Amino acid sequence: MAVSIPPRETTDLNQMEDEAFRLHVRAWIEANYPPELRNPPKRLHWEENKVWYFKLAEKGWLCPGWPRQFGGLGLSPAKQIIFTEEIERHGCARTNDHGIVMVGPLLINHGTPEQQEYFLPKILSGEHIWCQGYSEPNAGSDLAALRTEAVLDGDHYIVNGQKIWTTLAMDANWCFLLVRTDKNAKKQEGISFLLVDMATPGITVKPIINLEYHDEFCEVFFDNVRVPAKNLVGTPNRGWDMAKALLSFERIYLGSPRLSAYAFTRLRQLAERMGVWEDAAFQETYGRLRLDLEDLKSLYGAFVDKLRRGETLGPDVSMLKVFQTELFQRITDTMLEIAGENAGLLEPMEGNRNLNPTGLYIQARPATIYGGSNEIQRNILAKNVLGLPG
Amino acid sequence: MSQALDDRSESIRMIRDSAGAVAPRGGDTKRVRALRFQNPGYDKAVLAQMGELGWIGLAVPEAAGGAGLGMSEAVALAEEVAGGLAPEPLIPAMLSARLLAAAEAPQLGAVLAGTSLLLTAWQEKADSLAVPATPDGPRSFLPMAGGAEGFLVPVREGNRIALHLHPAEGADLVLEKTMDGGHVGTLRPNAARMTRIGDDIGAVLEQALDEAALLTAGAMLGLMERAFDLTLGYLRTRQQFGRVIGTFQALQHRAADLKIHIALTRAAVESAAAALDSGAAGAARQAAVSKAKHRAVESGMFVLRQSIQLHGGIGYTDEYDVGLYLRRGMVLMNQFGSATLHRRRFMALEPEDVE
Repeated sequence: MAVSIPPRETTDLNQMEDEAFRLHVRAWIEANYPPELRNPPKRLHWEENKVWYFKLAEKGWLCPGWPRQFGGLGLSPAKQIIFTEEIERHGCARTNDHGIVMVGPLLINHGTPEQQEYFLPKILSGEHIWCQGYSEPNAGSDLAALRTEAVLDGDHYIVNGQKIWTTLAMDANWCFLLVRTDKNAKKQEGISFLLVDMATPGITVKPIINLEYHDEFCEVFFDNVRVPAKNLVGTPNRGWDMAKALLSFERIYLGSPRLSAYAFTRLRQLAERMGVWEDAAFQETYGRLRLDLEDLKSLYGAFVDKLRRGETLGPDVSMLKVFQTELFQRITDTMLEIAGENAGLLEPMEGNRNLNPTGLYIQARPATIYGGSNEIQRNILAKNVLGLPG
Repeated sequence: MSQALDDRSESIRMIRDSAGAVAPRGGDTKRVRALRFQNPGYDKAVLAQMGELGWIGLAVPEAAGGAGLGMSEAVALAEEVAGGLAPEPLIPAMLSARLLAAAEAPQLGAVLAGTSLLLTAWQEKADSLAVPATPDGPRSFLPMAGGAEGFLVPVREGNRIALHLHPAEGADLVLEKTMDGGHVGTLRPNAARMTRIGDDIGAVLEQALDEAALLTAGAMLGLMERAFDLTLGYLRTRQQFGRVIGTFQALQHRAADLKIHIALTRAAVESAAAALDSGAAGAARQAAVSKAKHRAVESGMFVLRQSIQLHGGIGYTDEYDVGLYLRRGMVLMNQFGSATLHRRRFMALEPEDVE
């Protein structure tokens, strides 16, 4: 291996017994996670969550899945699952993690030694914060129809076009970008991966205010942006396959029961506050939701067991994303139903963050849209799992 | 839990393979159809074959003459046998074997061998898992009772539940036909004709009823899997408007939803079996079983209904096989507790006992 980045964590945590490892991780999180950031009602900006990113970075626990020679923890699949479970259990905010979960694995698998040597340490240190330039106004569900183009001009690509739904682009100083490099090929076969410095002239970032009144997403415009050709990852025109491989992380992540489980505990608190906890009609609904959540956990457990055995997940993992996100919505639908006129409030009830039916309801809406809408997930299930035609 | 499952994957696979002897995958339904509305409605030779294969005593300890396997194997078996629509009363026979083994009764051998069918007459009212209270109240919903040599009648005596054997010959037994071509019986026990064969089987009976409920959930899973396979085959070949109907997105999305329900059911059933195999008792056992049975009934009947719908008119004919699964589902769904009963029971458990 040409590239070597010494891991900051010098203990090989894989050697620990599972239960001891779990308690070790739990204790460290409890001692180091900023209490005021537990279960945040909105996706946090870099200025708000960087303290946690740096804590993880300093401990050497930022990149549990990366191999140790690249500065990661090199955790086994089983240990990574425990690590994630503890992060979720404590209600830790998601960091600006595109560098960790997307760019790192991309470069480790497909990058040149120079790219690895330059970029990976800067992710590990928090110097580079990444955003993902995938969707476009006319390439949403049909992502392969993307039209932002990159034309080679000497040792640079000239990039023109527009990206949208770029999460936290205003916080990022680098962007990994899907661009069209061959307009004549089949749509999946003319796409390449480019790494772009957000400070390059010609880039404009415009936040989009969403239904939460939050500026989580952005539009990003590229106007004759010059990107060094050495920032292309892998083989030109093979970007689509690499992008698809990276999405497997997202599908299991979006299928995790954590959002539904969190909303479910809040549903009970709300029901008690609203005085409907003992109500038979409510109990009927609550019981059904609770059993759905239990069975989601069982199904998630079955997929996690596959990962633990070192198997790769197939397209059937889409089932998890569909069921989890729709359950999350049904739980929050029930919250509005029992909240009375509080269903229209902008802020949490009584200033209590745990009584926030409207916040959770609005947060649950895009879950069935992002990461491949549930309609697209059902298409995938029908065609790639059930083998239905056309 | 998952580790235990991994270790068992080989024995589960062998059980599934052996099930093919009686319930062949993709086999025709001639045998099943020929037995409908006959007396006793199943093939005694096939029940004996099930005994010979060790199925009836699958979860009975080896020392008592059983195979000494667990619920993970047993639910896989129940799934395969139900998937093949076999009308033989395997789950009721397994329940009785469990009680006879606990009572160390001499009748166990013939029941394990499948040469004698003794049905446990435990049920005093519809949709109940309550253990019986009266010595002579009618005992209902005895599956395939017309073929039974006798009945095991649990009777409450003070704090204990005793087990009595009631011969079928001369018994006051009324049979009612069921939707799938089988039947159920109601027995009015005659105390004078009963022999006491066990003194205190209360705890075992409770556990055995839970196990039977879980096996029935496994059977629902087998029904929904096979009905869905048929439906997928139909969607891939049936043409309308000049196209294969499986190309229509509305139907593709429906099929995707059915697949999700099957996956949820499998996860619930298999995790419950693993929980029981790793020693879940009391509330933990009840929670695992109730989750699984609730899911299997709710999702199972959804898949079976939709399988009829997706077939269109042909699905409503007796001649086409998909209806056999729905009708069997109607018979099985509420055995050992309806979805409502199990949801209620689960909700009554303390969360800390359950998680």
